[in-house]
Amino acid sequence: MLLISLVYLFLILVYLVIGAAIVFHMLYYKINRRVAAIMCLVYLGGGIFLLIFNISLFFSVNWYQIITNTGL
Amino acid sequence: MYEEIQFPGQHEGETIILFLRRHWFIFFMRLLFIIVSVVVLVVIYYLFISLNSNFRESAYYNLLLFGESLATLFVWNFFFILWLDYYLDAWIVTNERIINIEQRGFFNREISELKLTKIQDVTSEIIGVIPTLLDYGNIYVQTAGEKERFAFCQIPHPNRVKNIIVQLQEKEEKEEEKELGEIIRGQ
Repeated sequence: MLLISLVYLFLILVYLVIGAAIVFHMLYYKINRRVAAIMCLVYLGGGIFLLIFNISLFFSVNWYQIITNTGL
Repeated sequence: MYEEIQFPGQHEGETIILFLRRHWFIFFMRLLFIIVSVVVLVVIYYLFISLNSNFRESAYYNLLLFGESLATLFVWNFFFILWLDYYLDAWIVTNERIINIEQRGFFNREISELKLTKIQDVTSEIIGVIPTLLDYGNIYVQTAGEKERFAFCQIPHPNRVKNIIVQLQEKEEKEEEKELGEIIRGQ
């Protein structure tokens, strides 16, 4: 369970690092301020929603049952 | 027309004549990868549901949803990486110069510029069936005294853009000649 949590935490960190780089590029290299602002809001809105949904799904999975069933 | 557009190092009074990005079809072709990924995720979901009628009640159902959700997170990021790559690549033609802004992945950005008076030769090319039908292609601008070519890649209406650049270059050259003549007469 600890291993699964660590792998999941690593994946989420990778996602957040890529997300931070995307937001930085949108806001720092803005060519058209309006387009950059709208796309940034869309990205952040969707990204946060998907992340919360994913975290809730992670906790809803019965990891113990899955691990014992697969014999890990 | 291009009042909202800003670019680094913009001079005072410099007006944007053309603002070009790659043709939308190029972005659409990249977007196909995202569409295929989404379709694959949906197919995987329905495959598991159809193979086992009791799958929704099993412990693996939440695992499937979790896996699909995790994949969606990365597809979401990948879509915005593709969009940024498309959005941040631009060619700007102003009344003074041509600016090429090229974004290569993250944290690799190249900006080059060329004065209109340095232009020696402009070539446009449309190669292939789809580029011919959708009217997109490349433009190569040869500079005087330099071997390097300035390239506009996969831009819409290359022939029209080429004509505008040639007209701007001729206008700028005439103005420069006029200024030079005035300086000589003044001496």
